[in-house]
Amino acid sequence: MLIMENPLDSSPMIFPVLECFHIIGMALLVGTIALVDFRMLGWAMPGQTPAELADDVKAWSHVGLAVMLLSGPMLFLSDWDMYWYNSAWRAKMGLFLLALAFNFTVHRRAIASGSPGKGVALTSLLLWASVIAGGIFIAFV
Amino acid sequence: MLLEFVQWLQMTGYATALRQSWYVYPVIMTLHLVGIGMFGGLVLVTNLRLLGVTMQKRPVADVIRGLRHLKHAGLTLIVVCGFLMFSSKAEEYYYNWFFWMKMSLLGLIALHALAFRSSVYKNPAVLDRSSTMPGIAKLAAVLSILLWTGVAICGRGIGYIDPPLEKLHAMLFLVK
Repeated sequence: MLIMENPLDSSPMIFPVLECFHIIGMALLVGTIALVDFRMLGWAMPGQTPAELADDVKAWSHVGLAVMLLSGPMLFLSDWDMYWYNSAWRAKMGLFLLALAFNFTVHRRAIASGSPGKGVALTSLLLWASVIAGGIFIAFV
Repeated sequence: MLLEFVQWLQMTGYATALRQSWYVYPVIMTLHLVGIGMFGGLVLVTNLRLLGVTMQKRPVADVIRGLRHLKHAGLTLIVVCGFLMFSSKAEEYYYNWFFWMKMSLLGLIALHALAFRSSVYKNPAVLDRSSTMPGIAKLAAVLSILLWTGVAICGRGIGYIDPPLEKLHAMLFLVK
């Protein structure tokens, strides 16, 4: 049987470089969402409404999400069976899907409604923080 | 002198406790990364505003002043968590050139803040009155993005350097 080498393992530089993209993309994705959450909590840019800010940074949230959706699966495929059986990775994927779903439904509606929505903002921040925690714990469980 | 300091630091009670617990270290690392995600993102947004590629409708003054306190709080969280992680394996960090490169870049970031404070960051009203964004503000933004990206890359790099076991004073790798 021919055993193909995983192209993502062909150089020891690939994984750390992907990780760096994953961290910078995370700062764009989570940072732009958090900016709106901080505004909903009354901690940032009082001169603008959450809806205005969300509209301003939407394009950059999408850029960040695209970087994550490219770098994440590549990191996964470099050692897919390790990740598949890793409980922190599984939790992270569940939380990530939950955070995304929350972002495009409850979060979006709360921003559009113009009501303060502090609970929604805190939930959003906690969800994204828990996705980050899941990512970190992959190496520790 | 510095070597003695890092050896002493990692043997302090809290550093030892941090090293010996399996979950405290990753929790601190998570908070470090949450800080980078949420507050590093605000640094990016500020710089992208100076470059005119986001929040074009919002005054620069609103962006810079409206995010300043959050960025300070975030930086404090990141630095405290970073120092705690450093303490737990301070002697390994002493031999880690990525760590020293990261510290050097942070030094350059401090110089960047001093160099551009009066012309850009403490002066946003003038930037808003100008018909086009002054070159110095764009330069500050590009340099800031490059320096912070470098810090993130070096931070990730720290984990890839094998500690020189023969030089380590304490055999920490045994209890890792």
